Amino acid sequence: MLSLLIWIPILGAIAIALLPQSRARLGGLVISGAVFALSLVVLSQFDLTNAGFQFREYFAWIETLGLNYELAVDGLSLVLLVLNSLLTFIAILTTKPDIERPRLFYGLILLVSGGVAGAFLAQNLLLFFLFYELELVPFYLLISIWGGAKRSYAATKFLMFTAISGVFVLASFLGLIWLTHSSTFAYESLLGQTLPLALQVVLLGMLLVGFGIKIPLVPFHTWLPDTYVEASTPVAILLGGVLAKLGTYGIFRFGLGLFPEAWAKLAPWLAIWAAISIMYGAMAAIAQKDIKRMVAYSSIGHMGYILLGGASLTALGVVGAVSQMVAHGLILALLFYLVGVIEAKVGNRELDVLNGLMNPIRGLPSISSLLVLGGMASAGIPGLAGFISEFLIFQGSYAVFPVQTLLAVVGTGLTAVYFVILLNRTCFGKLDNATAYYPRVTWSDKVPALILTALIIFLGIQPSWLVRWSESTTTAMVAAVPILSPSTPIVEVLGVEGLGVEPGVNRPG
Amino acid sequence: MFQFLVQTAWLVPIYPLVGMLLSAAWFPAITRRTGPRPAGYVNAITTFVSLLHSLLALVTLWGRSPQYQTYHWLKVAGLDLTLVIEISALTVGAMVLINGLNFAAQIYAVGYLEMDWGWARFYAMLALFEAGMCGLVLCNNLFFSYMILEILTLGTYLLVGIWFNQSLVVTGARDAFLTKRVGDLFLLMGVLALYPLAGTWDFNELAIWAQTANVDPKLATLVGLALLAGPMGKCAQFPLHLWLDEAMEGPLPSTILRNSVVVATGAWVLVKMEPVLALSPTVMAVAIAIGAVTALGGTLISIAQIDIKRALSYLVSAYMGLTFIAVGVGQTEAALLIVLTHAIAMACLVMASGSIVLNNITQDLTQLGGLWSRRPITGLSFIAGALGLVALPPLGGFWSLLKLADGTWPHHPVITALLLVINALAAFAVARVFGLLFGGKLNPMTVRSPENLWPITLPMTFGAAFVLHLPIILQRLSLLPDWAMMNKDVALLLTWSSIFGLSLGGVVYLGNWIAKPVSLPWKGLQDLFAYDFYTPKIYRSSIVGSVDFISQLTDWIDRYVVDGLVNLVGIASIFGGETLKYGNSGKTQFYVFTIAFGLALIGILMSWSILSELSVSVGQG
Repeated sequence: MLSLLIWIPILGAIAIALLPQSRARLGGLVISGAVFALSLVVLSQFDLTNAGFQFREYFAWIETLGLNYELAVDGLSLVLLVLNSLLTFIAILTTKPDIERPRLFYGLILLVSGGVAGAFLAQNLLLFFLFYELELVPFYLLISIWGGAKRSYAATKFLMFTAISGVFVLASFLGLIWLTHSSTFAYESLLGQTLPLALQVVLLGMLLVGFGIKIPLVPFHTWLPDTYVEASTPVAILLGGVLAKLGTYGIFRFGLGLFPEAWAKLAPWLAIWAAISIMYGAMAAIAQKDIKRMVAYSSIGHMGYILLGGASLTALGVVGAVSQMVAHGLILALLFYLVGVIEAKVGNRELDVLNGLMNPIRGLPSISSLLVLGGMASAGIPGLAGFISEFLIFQGSYAVFPVQTLLAVVGTGLTAVYFVILLNRTCFGKLDNATAYYPRVTWSDKVPALILTALIIFLGIQPSWLVRWSESTTTAMVAAVPILSPSTPIVEVLGVEGLGVEPGVNRPG
Repeated sequence: MFQFLVQTAWLVPIYPLVGMLLSAAWFPAITRRTGPRPAGYVNAITTFVSLLHSLLALVTLWGRSPQYQTYHWLKVAGLDLTLVIEISALTVGAMVLINGLNFAAQIYAVGYLEMDWGWARFYAMLALFEAGMCGLVLCNNLFFSYMILEILTLGTYLLVGIWFNQSLVVTGARDAFLTKRVGDLFLLMGVLALYPLAGTWDFNELAIWAQTANVDPKLATLVGLALLAGPMGKCAQFPLHLWLDEAMEGPLPSTILRNSVVVATGAWVLVKMEPVLALSPTVMAVAIAIGAVTALGGTLISIAQIDIKRALSYLVSAYMGLTFIAVGVGQTEAALLIVLTHAIAMACLVMASGSIVLNNITQDLTQLGGLWSRRPITGLSFIAGALGLVALPPLGGFWSLLKLADGTWPHHPVITALLLVINALAAFAVARVFGLLFGGKLNPMTVRSPENLWPITLPMTFGAAFVLHLPIILQRLSLLPDWAMMNKDVALLLTWSSIFGLSLGGVVYLGNWIAKPVSLPWKGLQDLFAYDFYTPKIYRSSIVGSVDFISQLTDWIDRYVVDGLVNLVGIASIFGGETLKYGNSGKTQFYVFTIAFGLALIGILMSWSILSELSVSVGQG
């Protein structure tokens, strides 16, 4: 069952290469639609009361290396799996029908989808890493072939950053295996590791840097604006909606899952990091003049909320963080898509040039209305999917980190500021009659946006459909975290037990 | 008789929502075929159904104890968000008021926006407000109230921005949204902080909790101030008052709703939260101070405005300030009574002034005048609204202010004195507007000014009639004080203060003794009021300026420091690659792979050596 989610797109990518050019789009839609339907089947058969892994699959592969083909799904990966298959379908739907080299494009998109699904499903550290690196190549090609003017710079930057991310992740995994003298990379066999706290902190630190680049968190984010802006719309949707989630998934699955003690120790710093990311992303977004870049920076800010929820280590905060991953994926996809439509119709992304698109006769009224909705969803207006996940994060983390949480709340206010700037400049104002001869917005332009909008509204009004999938898993994850005595400061843990600087001298007793 | 209507009172906010969704069908393509009007009629029908339902439910409910209905919205990780709906005479009565005023505003808009094409958007937004406010009064829970207030903030943005191709409208919509959002976010902080303390957001349970709560006074003050800030934004209180003034750029029919009941949403939440706010005397004092400053400042600024809509909007801030004072002294009933009498009187005033703005083209008070001979119906309606607003017996405003003044008299005589001053100033302000509109000589802008179409005149006269009948309604609802129990000194003082203000305004603006335009002898003071205490400038130089500066700084750092460092590394590695390429195939991917592999190897080796030492040292230790 789970293997199908990985191998249908990958084999489909090959199949598309054999189709005639004109049929490539249809093939892509059918394959990604089938994968989406299959993921819904998994969703419907998922046992909500079971916090552990379900639908296990196991094939021995290279046992001497400890590398086995082990797949399973739990509440954390389930929602992301469905998000991935949905956004893949949406990405193919949003692709221009007359795109160049369609077979390669759709094939690469499906390859990305399969790789990401594999990473979400893998229960073996090395297998995860293989899939984690696998999607890099198609992404690199997708950006560097179909991107904007500066695409080769952006693609190279993307590849460099994410390759380094992979290095850190691999280093941490290998370190864990060698230190625990484990004979296998199986995730569950490593769960009960009893490494000293200092080593855990070091390994977790490497993971945080590795996945922090992927998410990205400030200051590892500079690849993001360039890459998102240069990528074409469908690729940007996948980058923001799916690839970034690979990072947050990794942090939760491996950071929090494998090193709970160290995570608890680092939590206050993580919360500060989150607050900085949120404020930084929002502040940088306010200063942008390019609407796509603005949306890209907004994504950096929103990733901070996920980290904040994880840092809180409360059941509420973590389930909120997982819902935020989904909500952010949907909202960002909608925003990137609408920005893409505006760019395609108006031929411009500059805030200072765009104006009055809400004009009912000669503007893009429906696209503008949806943009208002998307921007407001991102700004956390209640009744839309973004609000409830942010609220759960805030309520969960307030009890633990009040100051950081309040800063994050200020961050949502700043989010509203830049979205109002964006909407005021693009949708409101007076349309320039001399230049406003835009191509008509067709129904096929609207359909992907309407699907995403419907989901955002539905999950906002009925949030239990957003949180129910992951609730038991995240609750169990939080319960697995040992309660540390808060009195030992992090420096002491590192200084005395860890770095071995004059052992015994500083240690009391 | 209509028991099932009471049971289904939760449907009242649903009808306008249905209307809102239906009007979404009038997107431009259909509007080109049918014209925009059907969208408005659909909404007027759904609002009328709402009005009828709530009215019949009120009749049935009268004198009975409140009913509660629960709806499980979300239950996750120990957090139970259950919506409790309170169906009582008070809440259904408030819905009747909201629906009635919205119905009037919708009929009014049929006439006022006759030439407009944005009906679908406009009526959809009015419906959103109606639904939101009905939902707000029904839900007995701080969390859901916050949600609704925040959605209405978005509604304000879209409603003010209906005429989005005018630049003042765009800035007005922006400022309204952001100012209200600031208040909302403080409210959100309060909502977040309150839950760990009280363990509930239910208003009734909060009131019970507050009776016995033992909270650290500092924390209670901070939470209380945060909870105060949300209503401050909604009620347009200093220093979050600017948006209401700028919102006057929106269509006037929406102002009817906004100036009467939308601003009162803040007061409603404030009244509900009074037990929690009362935990900290500081918070109560702050509420009084904010209310007093706004009420006094608002009336003074109103007197200095030359725009008729702005002159009225600052009075709205002032009267909402009175509700803050009322809540600050614990007089929640007085606060609600002020909300009721103010809403009806203000709606009447706005409708009358809109009736003049529409066919005199201008809303500049200095260009109007002499309209009494041309517009007697509008003039009479304006008088009714004006007298209903200030404390002049036997109309509504008198009873609400009397209740407040009476309540403050024993313990806070200073506040009572302040109320008298505010009332006199408000009376002066409405007399001034009346004088400038209807007194004086006819001028080119006013010489041809017939009464308007029935869709405008009928709601206006209906509003005036409602103002005049309000005392009877209040008496039927036994909301008037007993004659024997009434504090006659306070009542007399209030009456005299109104008479003083009205007659002074009449003398100055209707008589010929003082040269027009009237201004204060000292120009600086006049400008201070006319330019709203220079609040826009203060905003720009403080909060707006600093956010702008920090964002530019962040952008600079992002461009040149963080990314600059990355690019530097990039250039260095390209340089390295250039020198290496003579021994290689020149494929970038290969370089990347080499670099990645090498880094991985180095990283592992380095960390391994450190880590093994560490484990050894730990083992030794």
